[in-house]
Amino acid sequence: MKTNMPLTKPIRRFIAETERMLDTEVTLLRKPEAPPGGTLIDIYSYNLDKNIIIFPANYIGLLKDFVIAKQCTHLLVKGAAAKTGGYRVLSYNADSVYTGMRQVYLDALKDEAKKEKKLPVNKLIDMLFIMFRQFHEDINDLPWNPVVNARIYHRMEQLRKTQLYILLKDGKQDMDEMMDMMEIIPRRYFVLDKSMFYARDLYLAKTLPADRLMPVVNIPQMKKFDHLEVKEMLTTRWTHTAWYQSKVFGDNMLTIMEKHLAVDWGAEPSLEYYASLYKVGVNLTNALLAYMTMKDWFIWEKPQHLLAAEQAAPSYEKAALKKIFGDLIEES
Amino acid sequence: MPVSEVSRLLKRAEQYVKQTKYKEALVLYDHAIRLEPRNPECWSQRAGAKIEMERFTEAVADCDQALALNPNHADAWSRKALALSQVGQYAPALAAATRATTLNANDAVGWYVKGICLEETGKSDEAEIAYAKSLELEILLDIKAEKDKVRR
Repeated sequence: MKTNMPLTKPIRRFIAETERMLDTEVTLLRKPEAPPGGTLIDIYSYNLDKNIIIFPANYIGLLKDFVIAKQCTHLLVKGAAAKTGGYRVLSYNADSVYTGMRQVYLDALKDEAKKEKKLPVNKLIDMLFIMFRQFHEDINDLPWNPVVNARIYHRMEQLRKTQLYILLKDGKQDMDEMMDMMEIIPRRYFVLDKSMFYARDLYLAKTLPADRLMPVVNIPQMKKFDHLEVKEMLTTRWTHTAWYQSKVFGDNMLTIMEKHLAVDWGAEPSLEYYASLYKVGVNLTNALLAYMTMKDWFIWEKPQHLLAAEQAAPSYEKAALKKIFGDLIEES
Repeated sequence: MPVSEVSRLLKRAEQYVKQTKYKEALVLYDHAIRLEPRNPECWSQRAGAKIEMERFTEAVADCDQALALNPNHADAWSRKALALSQVGQYAPALAAATRATTLNANDAVGWYVKGICLEETGKSDEAEIAYAKSLELEILLDIKAEKDKVRR
């Protein structure tokens, strides 16, 4: 481990355990511009020789520890899968991009037909790949979130209050995301995207018992949450939104999550255990994709495939637009 | 004359620290100390940069200089606690962290380091209280940072 910052004993032990189990090195970096949830740049997904966990510079105490615990757990899941020979990521190719963008286009046409204020054609065209990328990003991240959070909750008791704060913060951020695009993107995608986050929040609220996750009551800004169950809090937040449909779809996704995430979260750590968590994440991803009828949008491939796909993304988009619109695309 | 010059130097050095340009910051701190060797802030801030550079023993020495000039310099106590904890001297680090948090109860790092020292010296219950205090302060800082971000 390479760091010059203070860390609590359990976190130091956890990092050492991760390094030992995966026979690798973890470097911790503080960056002012890091996203609130931190970033993991790992040797299994990128062509690097060391793993780097980056977290926001203003996280100085337990918030930092939680981000490290979260990213380290994710690293263990990825590393265990890689060591047992089965690490794949959700990637895409020219065909799958076409399938996805075409579906978004057809749904957008249905929506546009009902709209009084139509979306300009150029915006509609731009939106197709943006939607595809948005779902790729979310589905690559979201299923691992409950896996990692449930594991931390059961293994690192001292981080529970911190975890609650981060979950509330994450939930709010994910809920607010795409709001400015609500009237632009096809309703189906807005609803599906929100539903995933709703299901995750509700799953965590049910799995992480409310009595142990009581908010930090001494914080004035959080007083309003005092004596409120996490489950009640998150449900209320979602049912009071303008998009009640998200809740309906989200309840179905919650059932899917509960079915796939029936795991012994407190099990002793081992490579086999973390490899099994990876399989759980993969199965959950597949189930969510099937529910959203997006199975053909993405493909499970080696990480190098995804890196190459990211490079080729503009050409995939161009080719898909050509296939959807034919010669019209050049005229517009 | 030197007062404004020193303030300017400290401000610039702080910017360097934020940009993780510690060597550049150190040059400015050295200059500030030469101009005002009896200013505890200069010593304390240089200690902060040295902690980032993992020069913990030197950082402790700088903190001691600051504290000799002002025994109630809260930041110097906090930095001393941090540096000592990093070299595994938990008992004196705990004393320093206790002093730091007494002088400034809103020192999130001070409470956090105190928690680490208490944990390392086998006082888990007290450590939990220190961590809780640190977390409260950290969350308040985070909420403020988020609001500032939205405002910007």
